[in-house]
Amino acid sequence: MFGKLDLSAIPLSQPIPLITSAIVILIAIGILALVTVRGWWPYLWSEWITSVDHKRIGIMYCLLGVLMLIRGFADAIMMRTQQAIAVNAPGYLPPEHYNQIFSAHGTIMILFGAMPLVLGFMNFLVPLQLGVRDVAFPTFNQVGFWLTASGALLVNLSLFIGEFARTGWLPYPPLSQTTYSPGVGVDYYLWAVQISGIGTLITGINIVTTVLKMRCRGMDYLRMPVFCWTALASCLLIVAAFPILTATLAMLTLDRYVGWHYFTSTAGGNPMMFVNLIWAWGHPEVYILVLPAFGIFSEIFSTFSGKPLFGYRSMVAATLFICVVSMLVWLHHFVTMGAGAAVNTFFGISSSIIAVGTGVKIYNWIFTMYGGRVRFEVPMLWSMGFIFTFIIGGLTGVLLAVPPADFMTHNSMFLVAHFHNVIIGGVVFGIFAGTEYWFPKAFGFRLHAGWGKAAFWCAFIGFWVTFTPLYVLGLDGMTRRLQHINFEEWRPWLYVSVAGIVILVIGVICQVVQLVVSIRNRDRLRDTTGDPWDGRSLEWATPSPPPFFNFAVMPNVEGEEAYWGIKQKAIETQQLSPEPQYHPIEMPINSPVGIYTAFFSTVFGFAMIWYIWWLAIAALVAAFAGFVVFAWRDVHEFEVPAEEVARVERARRASREALLERLSSQEVGS
Amino acid sequence: MSDLERDQSLEGSWSHGEHDHSPGDEPAEDAGHWIRNANLGLGFSVLLTVAAFALAGSDIIYPPAVPVALIVLAIAQMGVHLVFFLHITTGPDNTNNVLALVFGVMVVFLIVLGSIWIMDHLTQNMMPMEKMIEMQP
Amino acid sequence: MSDAGLPASVEALHRVQQDPHRLGHRAHGARDPRPGTGQGATGPAAKRILVGYGFWIYLLSDIVIFSCFFAAFAVQRHATAGGPTVGDIVDIPRVGWETAVLLLSSYTCMLSFAASNARNLLWTQILLLLTGLLGLVFVLLELQEFVDLASRGITPQRSAMLTSFFGLVGLHGVHVTAGGLWLATMMAQIQVKGFRPEINHRLICFNLFWHALDIVWIGIFTIVYLMGAVA
Repeated sequence: MFGKLDLSAIPLSQPIPLITSAIVILIAIGILALVTVRGWWPYLWSEWITSVDHKRIGIMYCLLGVLMLIRGFADAIMMRTQQAIAVNAPGYLPPEHYNQIFSAHGTIMILFGAMPLVLGFMNFLVPLQLGVRDVAFPTFNQVGFWLTASGALLVNLSLFIGEFARTGWLPYPPLSQTTYSPGVGVDYYLWAVQISGIGTLITGINIVTTVLKMRCRGMDYLRMPVFCWTALASCLLIVAAFPILTATLAMLTLDRYVGWHYFTSTAGGNPMMFVNLIWAWGHPEVYILVLPAFGIFSEIFSTFSGKPLFGYRSMVAATLFICVVSMLVWLHHFVTMGAGAAVNTFFGISSSIIAVGTGVKIYNWIFTMYGGRVRFEVPMLWSMGFIFTFIIGGLTGVLLAVPPADFMTHNSMFLVAHFHNVIIGGVVFGIFAGTEYWFPKAFGFRLHAGWGKAAFWCAFIGFWVTFTPLYVLGLDGMTRRLQHINFEEWRPWLYVSVAGIVILVIGVICQVVQLVVSIRNRDRLRDTTGDPWDGRSLEWATPSPPPFFNFAVMPNVEGEEAYWGIKQKAIETQQLSPEPQYHPIEMPINSPVGIYTAFFSTVFGFAMIWYIWWLAIAALVAAFAGFVVFAWRDVHEFEVPAEEVARVERARRASREALLERLSSQEVGS
Repeated sequence: MSDLERDQSLEGSWSHGEHDHSPGDEPAEDAGHWIRNANLGLGFSVLLTVAAFALAGSDIIYPPAVPVALIVLAIAQMGVHLVFFLHITTGPDNTNNVLALVFGVMVVFLIVLGSIWIMDHLTQNMMPMEKMIEMQP
Repeated sequence: MSDAGLPASVEALHRVQQDPHRLGHRAHGARDPRPGTGQGATGPAAKRILVGYGFWIYLLSDIVIFSCFFAAFAVQRHATAGGPTVGDIVDIPRVGWETAVLLLSSYTCMLSFAASNARNLLWTQILLLLTGLLGLVFVLLELQEFVDLASRGITPQRSAMLTSFFGLVGLHGVHVTAGGLWLATMMAQIQVKGFRPEINHRLICFNLFWHALDIVWIGIFTIVYLMGAVA
């Protein structure tokens, strides 16, 4: 009746998951109770859960990502402390548990932490920067978010019911086949990643269509902000690469569930094919993560240097170059698997060449600062920390790209240090920079700068203290994923690394404090004009937060840096552009289809994991029925009357008048 | 009023007669055009398909050339579908469609040919799986 | 604004600050955007274009999934583990029928779209029904083929080659089945709601999907069946 599920699935004999689960469940119940008691459900339901507004969806993606980053970070703390303690000693995490932790750490950080954050930024910003009202398929977008959340829920369920995979974040066969992983761990991974992969693909399709077919009048390709170019490149990669993940995991699922032989070690199966295919996805995946971060930095560098971005066209060219070449390098993840010199050479060269694209970008950022008036606000600090950190991380990457060198460093701590260097230095710093930069736009008040600076310095210093020892250890011969260490000489380095983790923990605390303090002081930190940073692109033309329809009248763009041009003209002529004609606006209505689909996807995934076949079928039927009901609806838009549009726009114009006065008086004074 | 003008739910429209096209789409006024395309498409497809079936396992052409010929015929058939059924053209209104298609085809070639190349080399260099299992204690 | 402390000449700096992207090259950005070419500079495209293009992009992702299954087949076509080879399992006459049926269904699908453009409800439904029936025949033929093979002990659990064969052909069959379900739902919708814009958009998508499935089938019958029989 319940398939493989029974009470033994609850980890009663393992204190750490048990206590963690208990705490998480209590917190969850507490939050649900609070919301119920305060009567917030109607608000949450109509304004957030059923919202199809790209801004709301973007914020929810980011919230999901932040929560999962914290969970992944907890795993990281456990791993680093275990390794420091377990030098010629057992440590406190038995191998079966430690293996789940490093698998969960990688899976969560990449697929449920970084990906949602990056998707969230793209969702929030792209329509605003393109001067349009929403993405191409708003309701579809919402479904995508909820599917991602469903996947995240499934991964976290594995903590209290059952177990997680012990294979690492990419479940290589034969270890991931039923012979060596008979439990539900790999199945949790497979279904969670498949379901959230659909969500990611949805965002990819949405953004590609939006960027290519939905821009405001006058916004040529070469007038788009660079963030939109990087979003386009990243989403093209999503559309190209995520299907590979879907197909490969489906093949592994078929192997596990019905005894097929794609990747088995018997009957002609080929485990190496899994490695090949999964990295054909895996490499584009990391570029999917980092390209939008590059876009974020491009926006920040130009704004905080008070100059247009240097070399716009070469930036675009470099972005597209990286997009294409990232699909030509995947073998460098398994150079040692034995494809031979010819194949290794090709991919070694392509992996070195791809660095050229990033090099072009870095020079452009530096030249953007040159000759400008640089303001060292918190986003700029993160950006400069990124330049330093990412250059070194990229250089170690080029070192790894050389096949003979990689034979020594493959799967060592050197590799681990490299990819954390580029992911943290690139993606995580980018996310924090972007959060700091666009938080006022999203919520209407700035974040406290002092705590922000503290958080940055802790992250920057903490990162280097944590990971430099790992570079050394890697060159010393330490392999990755060790549950215990047999070499006394490595102990001091491991201790230094733990010290770094402590600094990072302080950094995370600073971030949380920053948020709390900013919310407490939000009236003082209020962004009254919508343009707190003297921005250059169209999102800064809207109030903070923007109205749900973004722009009362879609802008007519006449040059690059659309908003900067508008601002300069206003300063010159000492007045705002003339008041436009107000028309009613059609906007899509809210819909529960997203959360409905996600609910049944979660049930389906859970049922498949535990072999509860009747429940899986029922969930599929229910999901299909819901889809048909949704497709049958007659009304899918509502009209915003012209008076409402006028009211919102006039309020915006009033605040802009105030900003104009302030800017003009600054001009006069300087 | 044609469909294209009626569902302008977003601002921004072009004057009548200048239309962007997604694949497989034609403005209503060219409906007769459709049927001609369909007939031509079916005709060419049938010819090419019959040719492919006839070639396979026969002596009509030099036998080692048959796989190559089959692939050429397959590509031709796919082309017929794209041009006649999906109406991919080289006009400026189709540029995005062609670019997306080229990108997709490039990815397909990379995956299929790349995998074949890599796995071939791996098979040459690595011990077969059965032998590896035999070696286990 | 103060330019203090900057080593470049004032004039050069001025030029950089005012002429950031041209850098001495010819001016750009002053051309009128070409309307109707979907380059986006004349404002957002109509919903019909967005839906069609978005679905085209989704189809490309679906083709990539198929290409992975093709790659698996290509790599494992000789991994028969002592069992039957591709030549042993292909049945050319049946594949010929399957191909003919699917091609014909693509044809009727296109005609149904022409009918829907002409707002002719009767012919649209007739042709859609034909498309669906032909698709059903295709799926039944394939099921018959699989059952036949299974009765001879030829199952995907036997070897890697059989796994990848059944996987690739089966994936295509699953897509055709899903398309059939979609078709049935849409025929009901058209009957109840008539030719509304959203319905027309979905018909565009269905057309794209159905033609794409035929394109994938061309790949399958050529590479798996015809070349398998030849080898």
